[in-house]
Amino acid sequence: MIPADATPDARPAARLDQAAGLVFVGEMYGVQVDLLALVLSTSQRRASAVAGRWCDAGSAQAAILGPGPRWVWLTKAGLATSGLPYAPAVPGLSRLAHLRAVTAVRLALAAAPQFAAGGGHWRSERRIRSRIGGRIGLREHVPDAEVHWPDGTTLAWAGECWAIEAELTPKTVARTAGIMRELLARTGDYGCRPADVLVPGAPPRHARAVYVCSAAARPVLMKARALLGDLGARVEIRALPGAALLPAPGRRAGPADLP
Amino acid sequence: MIRRGLGIIAARAIATAAVRAAAAVLTLAVAAALTPATLVAAGALAVASRWTWEPRRLFVAAAWCAPMVMVWLAATAVGPAGWLGAATAPYHAWLAFWHLVGSGAYLRAAARVAPAAIPLGLAGAGLGWSYRTRTVGAGAGGRSPASSVALDQRQWRNQVRAAKARIAAPGSVPLTMRGDLIAAGAVIRTVGHRAGPLAAIGYERMRSHQVVIGTTGTGKTTLLLRLWAAYLATGLRRQAAGRGAAPLIVVLDCKGGASARRVADRYRRLMREAGARSVAVWPDEASLSLWSLPPRKLTTTLVDLIEHGTGSAAYYADVMEALVALAVEAPCGPPTSAADLLARLEPGWLALAYAASGTAADQAMIRSASRQLGDVALRFRTLFRRLGDGLDGPGSFGDADAWYCILEGTDQVPVAEGQARALVDLLASFAVSCGGEREILLAVDEFSAVSRRLPIFTLYERARSLGLSVQVSAQSWQGLAATQDERYRIAAAAEGGIWLLRTPHPEPVAGLAGTRKAIETTRALGRLGWSRRGSSRLHDEPIVDLGLIRRLDTGQVAYIHGGGVTYVQIKRPVAAPAAVRGPVVAALGAVEPLAGAVPAVFVPLPVPAVPSAVPGMARPPDISPVLDAAFGPEAP
Repeated sequence: MIPADATPDARPAARLDQAAGLVFVGEMYGVQVDLLALVLSTSQRRASAVAGRWCDAGSAQAAILGPGPRWVWLTKAGLATSGLPYAPAVPGLSRLAHLRAVTAVRLALAAAPQFAAGGGHWRSERRIRSRIGGRIGLREHVPDAEVHWPDGTTLAWAGECWAIEAELTPKTVARTAGIMRELLARTGDYGCRPADVLVPGAPPRHARAVYVCSAAARPVLMKARALLGDLGARVEIRALPGAALLPAPGRRAGPADLP
Repeated sequence: MIRRGLGIIAARAIATAAVRAAAAVLTLAVAAALTPATLVAAGALAVASRWTWEPRRLFVAAAWCAPMVMVWLAATAVGPAGWLGAATAPYHAWLAFWHLVGSGAYLRAAARVAPAAIPLGLAGAGLGWSYRTRTVGAGAGGRSPASSVALDQRQWRNQVRAAKARIAAPGSVPLTMRGDLIAAGAVIRTVGHRAGPLAAIGYERMRSHQVVIGTTGTGKTTLLLRLWAAYLATGLRRQAAGRGAAPLIVVLDCKGGASARRVADRYRRLMREAGARSVAVWPDEASLSLWSLPPRKLTTTLVDLIEHGTGSAAYYADVMEALVALAVEAPCGPPTSAADLLARLEPGWLALAYAASGTAADQAMIRSASRQLGDVALRFRTLFRRLGDGLDGPGSFGDADAWYCILEGTDQVPVAEGQARALVDLLASFAVSCGGEREILLAVDEFSAVSRRLPIFTLYERARSLGLSVQVSAQSWQGLAATQDERYRIAAAAEGGIWLLRTPHPEPVAGLAGTRKAIETTRALGRLGWSRRGSSRLHDEPIVDLGLIRRLDTGQVAYIHGGGVTYVQIKRPVAAPAAVRGPVVAALGAVEPLAGAVPAVFVPLPVPAVPSAVPGMARPPDISPVLDAAFGPEAP
C-alpha cells in the first residue's frame, strides 16, 4: 500500500533504484553497505535498511565478514529475481579486499561524466566467468571487468573495449607483464572457441588495459609496462580511490570517499 | 536269442521315438498355450538372427520392459481387484487374450496381453539365441562345422555397420568423457573386455607407455591425432579441477616431408580446439636450445650425436669426449650456441680458459689432445650444419602446450637420428627440471626411422619417475626396434596398451595378448551330411584373431590390454578449418595463398606474440579525461 503522503512517482523510482542495486550486488559477488549507499545514492543507514528489506524478502543475505560494515550478497532467490544466471555464493574471505576494490573502481568510473555520456557498460568478472562456464582450457587470465564503449558517440574511444584490473598487492614483474600481454593480445571473447582466443591478424579484443592499483603495486606495474615496449602505450595505470581499501580492523568505517 | 535281441533293440528305438515325439508335442503345446509370448520370441529371434545381435541385447530389451510391467501391475493393484488381482493379472490377461481372439478382436487381444507377453518373449528369445550362438560358436550347432565361421563373419559385418552408425553423427563421440575417459571411437567387438557402445580408455592409460602398430593407410595418423587431442583435453580438464598438472605433448614425426607438414597443420588445429594455448611446430616455426642442458648432460649429448666406430676408433671417441668436456665445462660456463662451442674447440681458447683456474691435469689434457682439436671441431661443424638451427635456441619445451617436431627421417636418416636423440635428451632434462609440474606425453611416430640410434626403451624404464609417458608408433613389428629383444622390451613395457591396426605380421603382438579357454568340437560326417555326434574339448585359443587383424579395414583398430582386446571403429577428429590468410598479405601478392596454409600461431607462454602495430591501434586515442575524472591524474 502506498502511503498517502508519497508522491505518485517517488515510490516506483525508489523501487527502480533498489532493483538496480540488487542487480549491482549480484554482479559484484557482494558489496559492503557503505558502498551500497553510494550505489543507491543514499545514506549508509538507509542502505542498511534497504539491505535488511532484501534479506527479509529472501533475496539477499548480510553479515559482517571482515573489517568494516556488513557485506550484502544475493541468495539463489535474489539472483533468480534479478535474472542473473550465477551460482549463489558467500563472498570468500580471501577475496573481500579485492571485491571491495573492484566495486570502488566501478563506482569511481561510473561517476565520471564521460561514462554516462559515452554509454559505458561494465561487464563484471562474474558475468565473464559465467560465460566461460565449466569449459576446458581455463588457464586464461580473466580480467576483473571489461568496460564496453558503444559506437556512435562523440568520445574518441567510442567502440573500444577495455580490460579493467584492480591491483592491491604486487605480483612479479614477469607475471604482470605476461598478464598485460595476454590481455592486449587476446582476440576472442571469453568463452569462445580455443582457436579464436588468439587469431593472428585479427584486431585485439581489449584496446586498453586499465590498471587501478595500490601504492604497493604501482612500481611493479610501471616496470611491467616498461617491459612491453610499444605495447605499453595501451596500458593505463591509475591509483585506487580511497574507498577501495578495507578499513583497518578496529576502525569504524566512515563514509566512503570517491572523487 | 537273435530274435529276442532284435526285439529289445526295436523296443528301445520305439521307446526313444515315442519319448521324442511326446517331448515335441509337449513343446508345441506349451508354445501354443503361450502363443502371445511365442510370437514375440519368434519375431525377436528372427531379428536377432538377421542382424546377428548379441544375446545380451535381447535381455536388455526385456529388462527395459520392467517399467511397463510395473505400471501395469500397479494399475491392476489399485483397481477393484487389489493385490491378489495384480498377482494373478498375467493369468487373467492370458485368459482374456483367448476370449478376445475368439471374438475376433485381435488388436484388443494383443494390447491386453502385451505387458506380460513382450518381456517374457524377449527373455525367451534371449535364452534361445544365446544357446544357438554358443553351440554354433563351439562347433556343435549349425548344419556343418563351417557354420561357426559364417556366423562369425556375419556378426562382424553387422557389428562394424552398427559401430559406423554410432560414430556417424557429429559430436556422437566426444574427445573426453566423464571419469577422465579418453574416447577413441565406437566398439565393434570385445573379447575379454567389457562391452559398451563407445571405446574409451582411462587417462592413466595414456600416462603409461603405449605402442601403436599399423601400416600406411590404415588410419594410424587419425587414431594418433585423436588420442593426442583427447589426452590434452582431458589433461586440461583435470588440471582445471585440481586433479593433475598441466599436460604437455611432444610429437616426434620421424618421417618428415610434405606429409608431415600436413599432419602438423591438422595437429595444430586439433590441439587448439582441444584447449592448447600454444602449439609449436619445430623446426619450421619454433626452436629449442640444446645449450640449456646441464653441462655434464650437454657433454654426453653432444658426444652421442656423433657416430663413433668400434674397436680402435673407441680411442678417438674418448679423446673427443675429453675435449668436449673441457670446452663445455670450462670455468667461464657452458657454451650458449653452436658457434660458441666451435670457437672453444681451439687450443688457444682452451689454454686461456683454463690458465687461471684449471688443474694440471686439465693443462696436460689440452696439450696432449690439441692435435685432435681441429678434427673434433670439423666433425661438430659438420654436425651442426646437418642439424640446422632448430636446436640453437632460444626456446624450451615449457613454452608451448603441444609440440610437433618434424624430423626428416625419410630424406636424411642420420640427421633425423641425431635430432631425435637431442630432442629426447632435452625433453628428459626438461622433465627433470620441471619436477612433475607437467604431465608429459612423448609420441614418436614412425619410430623405425630413428630406432637405430634412439634407445627408447632406456627412456621407457626411467620415464615413470620423470612424469613422462612414451607412445611409440611404427608401421610394423620390425620397425619397433633393431633387434627382437628390444622389440619385446618395448612391447612388454606398454602398460597403457597396444593399438594394433592392419598389419601383415601381427603374431608377436597378438602373442602378448595371451590366450583364452574355448570349446573345440569335432563332428562326424555321415552319408546325409554332418551328424550331431562327436566330441568337444577345451583348448587355448589366441585372444586376438590374427585373421581379423589382417583383414581390418581403414579406421579400425584392435586395442590390446590386460589379456583382452577391443576392436574399435575410430572416430575421426574434426578440427576447425585452417585460418585464411589476411587480406593485407593477399592484396600485396607477396605470398601466394596456399590451400590449407598454416598460420604462424606459435606463441611462447611467458611472452605471447602481440601484434605491435594493429591497424588503427598504433596511436590509441587519449583516454586520460575519463580516467582523470574517475581516479585522478596518473602520478609521474
